Order: sequence, then structure tokens, then C-alpha cells
Amino acid sequence: MNKNSKRVLAVVAASALAFGTVVTSQANAAVKEVTLMFQGPLTGPDAQLGQDQLPGAVYAISIYNATNPKVKIKLEKADSQCDGTVAANIAPGVAANKKVIGVIGTSCSGEAKNSFPSYKPAGLTMISPSATNVDLSNPKSKSNGFPIFHRVVPFDSTQAVVLAKVAAKEVASPKFYIVDDQTTYGKPLCDDVKLTAKKIGTIVGTDSVPKLTNDYSSVASKVKAAGANSVIYCGYQTDGAKFVKALRDSGSTAVFAAGDGVNTSDFPSLAGAAGEGVRLTAPDVPFDLLVSKTELAAFTKATSVKVPGLYVTSTYDATNIYISCIKAGKLTRAGIQSCVAGGSFKGVGGGTIKFDRYGDLTGGAPVGEFVVKGGVIKYLGGVNG
Amino acid sequence: MNFSVVTSEFWSLCLQGLALGLIYSLIALGYTMVYGVLRLINFANSEVFMIGTFAVLVVQVNLLHHDVTSQPIHGFALAKALILSLFGAMIVCALLAMLVELVAYRRLRLHGSSRLASLISAIGTSIFLSEGMRNLTNSRPQTTPRLLEKTSLGTIWGANLRIDTIITIVAAIIIFLALDQFVNRSRLGKAIRAVSMSEENSRLMGINLNKVITLTFAIGGLTTGAAAFFYATVYENTIFNVGFNLGIAAFTAAVLGGIGNIRGAFYGGIALGLLEQFASAVLGSQWKAVTVFIVLVLVLLVKPSGIFGEAVQQTRT
Repeated sequence: MNKNSKRVLAVVAASALAFGTVVTSQANAAVKEVTLMFQGPLTGPDAQLGQDQLPGAVYAISIYNATNPKVKIKLEKADSQCDGTVAANIAPGVAANKKVIGVIGTSCSGEAKNSFPSYKPAGLTMISPSATNVDLSNPKSKSNGFPIFHRVVPFDSTQAVVLAKVAAKEVASPKFYIVDDQTTYGKPLCDDVKLTAKKIGTIVGTDSVPKLTNDYSSVASKVKAAGANSVIYCGYQTDGAKFVKALRDSGSTAVFAAGDGVNTSDFPSLAGAAGEGVRLTAPDVPFDLLVSKTELAAFTKATSVKVPGLYVTSTYDATNIYISCIKAGKLTRAGIQSCVAGGSFKGVGGGTIKFDRYGDLTGGAPVGEFVVKGGVIKYLGGVNG
Repeated sequence: MNFSVVTSEFWSLCLQGLALGLIYSLIALGYTMVYGVLRLINFANSEVFMIGTFAVLVVQVNLLHHDVTSQPIHGFALAKALILSLFGAMIVCALLAMLVELVAYRRLRLHGSSRLASLISAIGTSIFLSEGMRNLTNSRPQTTPRLLEKTSLGTIWGANLRIDTIITIVAAIIIFLALDQFVNRSRLGKAIRAVSMSEENSRLMGINLNKVITLTFAIGGLTTGAAAFFYATVYENTIFNVGFNLGIAAFTAAVLGGIGNIRGAFYGGIALGLLEQFASAVLGSQWKAVTVFIVLVLVLLVKPSGIFGEAVQQTRT
């Protein structure tokens, strides 16, 4: 290759590079993209909770992106397994990713608490569809998430009242046996349940069984010995299933009631026949009851999920809050934070979503009552706390 | 403290503790057999147990086509399913234990590596198996089908004699007695005992060391596989880390009874199962682990070689 040829080649290469850069930057200018992070359990013992919620975010974003907006939204996933330790490990990475302007999550309260130390300094807003621990929004608590934390569900004090009422329903002279799983979610929920249980019946026993215990037979024996006719469990579905199996195998016919940690679509299959009749609560209204058949078909098409699970409604609402802010041109973390904290949004159920200073819903919301029947979880209606 | 539960549910707690304790015993036999011969804590044994529980799941779900919604079965179909599950788990665990010995320990042993190297290899193998299963199952718990209806065979002193509990207790005792007799009376059993006393002298007496050690791992795998089957039958669930807690409990049982001592592992498991049940009933489940380990420390302070252990570190019966 002679000198002239080399010069020509260099000019052509430089031109091509410059042209490419211009085209790319023009394309970037045409369609911008921001990222929302879904954070919750996608694997692990509590994976069903996150797997049930995720389609709510996927569906909301698919509807928005299908309108060909100037700013597209990319959904990423952070799997913190409903485990505070895992959350503490992955939260710094999420916070460091400047493309992420908001977190849909976390699903569990322990995850939220351990994510705050990373998200607060980064100014990264969180809207949780299901983290219900009271401390997360309690101004007196050192582990609150002010100012970045928000949730579209009422907190555990409200659910606890309903859970105790549901556990006592149609039970003559309720004798409660109350068991928690020692987690950030389970223990405070049961502490609140006890306050109502004392008023509407008698607490004949309590226990605190670590999450992922294999053998619940001694607890079942204690329930029998105490003569309890209603058992309330505050924990997650894997252990809830083991517990109710041990209880039924011990011959106990006491009512078994549990909160939203157990209310996941895989609970009936984990518990088998022992799960029949289990009473559940959750601050949620099933998505399929709130939308039309056409919308439900669109949801199924977008997510491949036929029957929306628990907290699809709240995840959909949480995602739509971000979408409203993005539509309003809020594309930075600071912009999102001020928009979410000060805005007023419409929920899929028709109500207005507005947050108080510490991230809770103004005006509260009813808690849903559910029952396991025929191997599926059925919604019975809302109960006021 | 709740002592009333002990008076009203004493025999129920005993039966449940015995069943759980015998599952610990069967896993503890796996630890103690290997320790007796190699002076090595085979930490991978807890993961051999975990794989055994998944083997039961595979036999029942993939081979016999039952699932969590299946109704319990009866008669010949039930006997076939239970026997296939039991032997499936035992064979898988025995083969896996032999493979672990071959891959993780043999080369180190033949090259005269330190016990520390073998210990690290044991931990590495344990992590490999556990994390491998985590990835295969996405860390999600699995439920084994209820093939055996948990009917009551009657009551004794107010305790419900549930069929799965009784099967576990009877079968585990039979397995232990068979192992005890095998180690005591058979030629291979004598060879195992000889190797546990002195590798060098055994070699000089013409004993094939590799064969005996492989056999020891296989026997440990068989008892651990049986434990996996009984666990899956009684508790009907498994997860990638199911072996962790049970493995620690079984190892504790082996140490409590005197590690390296077959009868020690057996009685240590029973003692631990009963202790856990009663501690949980009286003090609350949150104090179960604390109580167990306080008792373990106290026992070891008084008898450093465990309840049945002697100063001589060898497989005794």
C-alpha cells in the first residue's frame, strides 16, 4: 500500500467514524431511555412473592412503551431474595447505576431496611408494593426510609387488626395461639396482632420459630396442649406451609390464619390438602377484579401470566406513579423524588394515591380477606382495620 | 417456661423427638463412619443428604408421575413407591459419597496431604453441591408428594401413633442394627475396624485400603440416603440448603455420642432429637438451638470424647 492509498483510507475511516457518531447521537436524542429497578425476591424460598408482583411492573411499562414515547423505560431486576443480607449486598450496585431513576420495591421489609443506607445518600426513590413493616415510615424509628421510601399499601398495624379479626371470624370464644418467624416482617406483625387478639379473645400461647425451620411438630403439640382454636402465623409461605401441615397432621382442627407473607400463589401447592380453609389477609385487591376482560387479556399477552397473583395491583400502581412522573419530564433521581413525594396519582382501582411526609398513603386503605379453597386463593372482600 | 405442655404432650413429644432424632442418627452414622476410618469430617455428607431428598423427589415425581396434588396411594402401589424412593435415595447417596471420596479425598490421601487440605476439600465439595443445586432449582423450595396417608395406628398414653413416624422409627432402628451387625460380624466390617485402628498395619495384613475406604463412604451414603427418604416422607419438603441445619444437627449428634463411635452416633442422634423437642416445647422454639449447644458444651466439658466415646479414637461398636 503506497502513501496516497493510506491517506485515502484514513480519511474514509475517519469520515465513517464521524458519520456513525452523528447518527448514533441523533438516534439517542430521538429516543431516550431511563431505567426503573424492580427489587424483590425472584429466587429463593420467597421467590413467588416477587414473581407474582413483577408482571404488574412489566405490564405497566409495556403499555407505556407501546405509545412510542420520547423517553422509553427499561425495566431491570434486582433479586434480593426477601433477605436483608442479600439486599445489603446488591443495593450499593443499584445505587451506583446512574441510569436507575427509581426503585419499584422492595417487596419485603427486611430488604427495604437494608437498602436504605445505599439509596438514601444516592437520592434513589423507592415505592414498595408490599413492604408493610411499621418502622419503615415511622419518624421515631432509626430505620425509617425518609425521605426516599414510599409504599402503596397500608402498614402492618392495619393488617394486624384485620388478621386477628379474620382469625376470630365465626370462632366461638377465640383462643389464639400466635407464632412469628423472627423476621423483620413477621415479629412486628405478630406484636401488633396480639394487641387486637387480646381485645377480641384470649391468647393461650405464643412462639417464635426461626424462618426455615424444618420441624414444626413441637409447635403443633403446644397448640394442641394449649387448647387453641385459632392459630395466627406471621411469616412467609414456605414455613407457613410446613406449619399448617404439621398442625393438621397432629390432628388439630384449629383455624389457621396468616398475613400477606403466606398469601402467595404457590402456598396452596406447598401446603397441599392441609392448606384448604387457611384464612389469609393482604392489603391488596386482586388485579383481575379491577380491570376489564380486555385489559386482563392484554395483561396476559404482555406477561404470559393468566391469573394475576398477589400485589400485581400495587406493583402496577407503583410503576404507574413513576410513569406519570416520567411523562411530566422528571428524568433525574431528584426530579422523581419531588414528583413522587408531592404528587397525586390515580390507582387502577380508581382511588387517588398520595403520600404523607413519611411515605405512607394518606387516608389508608382496606385490607383484603382471602381463603384457600379448592387449591386456589380466593378473595372474599375488603375489611376495614 | 411452659411445663404444662410436657405433662399433657409428653409421649407425643417423645415420639416426634425419636423420629427426628433417628433421622439425625442416620446422617450422623455417615459422619462417624468416615471419621472412624479417615479421621476426617466429611462436611459434604450434609449435601449428600440434600441430594438424597431430591432423589426421592425425582423418583416420586418424574419416575412415578405423582405430584403435590396427587392423592395418597395404597396397597401395592404405595409399597412400590416407598421402596423405590427409599432405595433410589440410598443408591444415589451411596454413589455420590463414593464419587466424593474418589474426587475430593483420594488423591489428597495418596499424596500424603495434610488433614487441613482434606478439610478444605470437604468444605469445597459441600459448597459445590449446595450451590449447584441452588442454581438448578433457583433456590426455590420443593414439595414432595404425600404418597403415604398420615393415618393414625392408634394412641398410646395419649400420643398419636402416626404411620410415617412409626415407619421412620422402626426402619431406622433396623438399619442401625443391620449396620452394627455388619461392622461387628462381617469380614468387610472387620476390615473397616482394622483400618480405623491402624492404616499401616491393615495394609501389612493385606487389606485393600482403597476398597475399604470406598466401602465406608458407600455405607455412610446408604444411611444418609435412608435419612433423606424418611425426612422427605415425614416433612414433605426440601430445598438446596436443607442439609445445612440437619447436617449441623447430625454432626452435633455424632460429637455428642462420641465421633467415630457408631453406637454413639445412634444414641447421640436420639438424644439430640428429644432434647430439641423438649427444649422447644418448654422454653420456646427460639431457645431450641441455644439449649442444644449449651448441653453439647456441658457434655464435652465433662466427657470430652462424647457420651459413648472413649479416649481411643477408632470405630468401636
